[in-house]
Amino acid sequence: MAGLTLQLLGLQLFTGVALGALYVLLAVGLSLIFGMLTVVNFAHGAFYMLGAYVGMWLLMHGVNFWLALALAPLAVGLLGLAVERTLIRPLYGRGIDYPLLLTFGLSYIIVEGVRVVFGNTGYPVDTPEILQGAVNIGVGYFPLYRLFVIAATAVILLALWLFLERTSFGLIVRAGARDPQIVRILGVDVARVWLIVFGLGTALAALAGVLAAPLQGVIPEMGGPILAEAFVVTVVGGMGSLVGAVLAGLLVGVVVSMTSLFAPEMSRVAIFALMAVVLLIKPQGFFGRAGLMS
Amino acid sequence: MTADVILRTRDVAKRFGKFNALNGVSAEFRRNVITSIIGPNGAGKSTYFNLLCGVLRPSSGTVEFEGRDVTGMPQHRFAHMGVVKSYQITTVFPQLCAHENVRLAAQARVTTFDMWRPRASLKSLIETADRVLERVGLADRRDRPAGLLAHGEQRALEIGIALASEPKLLLLDEPTAGMSPQETREVMDLIVSLAAERTIILVEHKMKLVLGVSERLIVLHHGELLAEGAPDDIRRNETVKRVYLGHRGH
Amino acid sequence: MTVDNVVALRPSEPARGWLSLARRRRAWLASLLLILFPLIVPFKALAAQILVYGLYALGLNLLFGYLGLLSFGHAALFGVGAYFCGIAVATFGLPWWAGIGLGIFGGTLAAALIGALAIRTRGIYFAMVTLALAQCVYYLFYEEAGWTGGESGLTGVDVKTIDLFGVSFNFVDPLVHYYVICAFVVAALFALSRILASPFGAVIEGVRENEARARASGIDVSRVRLVTFIVSGAFCGLAGALLSLNLSIVSIETLNYETSGLAVMMCLLGGMGTFFGPFVGAALFLLLENIVSLYTVHWQLIVGAAFVACVLFFPRGVWGTLMQGLEK
Repeated sequence: MAGLTLQLLGLQLFTGVALGALYVLLAVGLSLIFGMLTVVNFAHGAFYMLGAYVGMWLLMHGVNFWLALALAPLAVGLLGLAVERTLIRPLYGRGIDYPLLLTFGLSYIIVEGVRVVFGNTGYPVDTPEILQGAVNIGVGYFPLYRLFVIAATAVILLALWLFLERTSFGLIVRAGARDPQIVRILGVDVARVWLIVFGLGTALAALAGVLAAPLQGVIPEMGGPILAEAFVVTVVGGMGSLVGAVLAGLLVGVVVSMTSLFAPEMSRVAIFALMAVVLLIKPQGFFGRAGLMS
Repeated sequence: MTADVILRTRDVAKRFGKFNALNGVSAEFRRNVITSIIGPNGAGKSTYFNLLCGVLRPSSGTVEFEGRDVTGMPQHRFAHMGVVKSYQITTVFPQLCAHENVRLAAQARVTTFDMWRPRASLKSLIETADRVLERVGLADRRDRPAGLLAHGEQRALEIGIALASEPKLLLLDEPTAGMSPQETREVMDLIVSLAAERTIILVEHKMKLVLGVSERLIVLHHGELLAEGAPDDIRRNETVKRVYLGHRGH
Repeated sequence: MTVDNVVALRPSEPARGWLSLARRRRAWLASLLLILFPLIVPFKALAAQILVYGLYALGLNLLFGYLGLLSFGHAALFGVGAYFCGIAVATFGLPWWAGIGLGIFGGTLAAALIGALAIRTRGIYFAMVTLALAQCVYYLFYEEAGWTGGESGLTGVDVKTIDLFGVSFNFVDPLVHYYVICAFVVAALFALSRILASPFGAVIEGVRENEARARASGIDVSRVRLVTFIVSGAFCGLAGALLSLNLSIVSIETLNYETSGLAVMMCLLGGMGTFFGPFVGAALFLLLENIVSLYTVHWQLIVGAAFVACVLFFPRGVWGTLMQGLEK
């Protein structure tokens, strides 16, 4: 630990926040979908991977980064809409396990579909030119792109917050996340709300994928481990809680990056240890309510 | 402490978020009689009922069973002490036959984790189940899956499941809900006959139904105890009359 | 969600006649089918794989099909069983039976640890938490390369002969190989049948059918879940041990997320909550994999589609649908 300085800690903290930002986007999508539809989306990792591939494909074909950042989530979100309407809808009312199993099977299809089109090997993805390099953030030089990931996530969260707080649709979603029964009682067109929420959740997953692509490249299997990590975030934050998803996402990101500094061999196990501790002291998560679990 | 009080609540309250479902109710339930909890819709009857049998944990206040503080105990422990509830919505084990429904409930008192003997070897449980089915009038439905029984039969089976646990205290939540007048009469007769051997607490929306059979009544309104006493007192109670008339009582 | 957790199957009339007899003799019939199986299927190695994965799926079926609790972390129980047996045989040179014993112990231990944590959550959380904890086990075994061989897996789990009561069986011979594994699977089938027929089996059914009712009857539902999870772990540990003896290697993929999903798929394809369904599911899956992969490397596309179709249209699975048809 000779080279350990406050600067290094600070930089590692920022790295953790950037990683956490991706977790936040994934977990918010998972939580929204679960809160409204009581569907645990096991294809969430696959949608994330698909977003990264679509983004890469767009970049390869000369589409500029900003446009790709908008188009890839849009495309995957539309696929999400189609999936909800055709595959998940018939399963409502048949028990909570069925949509879960369906999305699990779907993830197989999506991953293998990507392999059919793009092959089994991964690709590196270039960081857009304008976001290359590093900037001084006070504790040292930090990659500009990671800073951008943090900023982009913050903007998305702000937009999501405004959408949920200021629109009547957002009101329905918030009420629904608190108690799915209420929305039904209110006589809202639930089917449409569910459709949109599922599309929104998958689009957020895809957005996380596009943002992650320049950091780690793309590979068909990239969705599997991150699904497990997103689950950890949701369990730690509390299922169905958006505030919980945001805070737990950042926490998990920081824990991963800090353990990779102090005990690199433990970095991948650390978050599961964190989850185990949370389960022991607060099984419903930091912001979870017991009612949603059953 | 008087010996004939089996269950007592002291100032129990239950809040769901900001909503106060129950506001400090203190009441006593006497042994081996029928006590009914009545009140208009939204009075807090179901909440109170669920606090009495351990399904819900009170936000404050205590529940005492046979002089012992049992507040916040897990529900399966309530069952082992002899406090057993039946449900407002019919809940049986739909794919198990009527006999197995009752036998399983009886077995729960004896063994749970015995995984090497055949269940048929526990002969006394099989006999208990047959006796209970006889008692609730379902002996000829023994091998029929519970889910295929008629509505009234399922309600009777529910009472049978509760009886199989040999409860000291039987809590029944609107046991005649959705029944025909004929079925209602049969079930009420059954309940009255059961009261000879055990304490029964009934939750009922229809006051007329329980006035005749209950020894004591507890009237809830807006989450508070409105009145408590013998049927005659309740019948004459002006506040109760007003509340029920205000709700176009039954 | 407590009641319709798995399948809101409509109750059916009790079986009569020979079907009821078949049900009482289910362990015998299932064993007979498995004993005759290699006579039908020409590929003995594939048949042995089907046995192993069928047993693995059977372990999950006890939890998922019979109790109604969905776990996405069973790879950990299966994989730890495989590694315990593999390390015992390859690293410590212990005899095969010690490997099997340690495999069962490993699966049980993993189940106790994962179960004790996961059981603290309820409902749908369980699938997520088990998945995450199994992923943790995967990383742990991946990092402990000194013991497990890490990324390249554990090699040298070589058992050439099985000596029992003075008789020596040539474990290299494919047919003998099959029947040695079959013997353990048959023992597991009889054990499972016995558990299902026991008072605890009745409790399992009750909790699946109506959790609230079971709790009101005095059953400690979370304890029942934990114990079932652990028993399921013993079956999966045995399956894992047989896997390592069968292949002579343990690959790290045994522990990954896809392997957990595999058991779920096999269970559902075959028919969850049916006695023989897991073996039917394992056979279907592995045959499909072997046949489709002759024509395309993208066999997972077909398997995924078959699974989705199963979820949508045949929630009882192949064997379950067949059994339902027979009862009519």
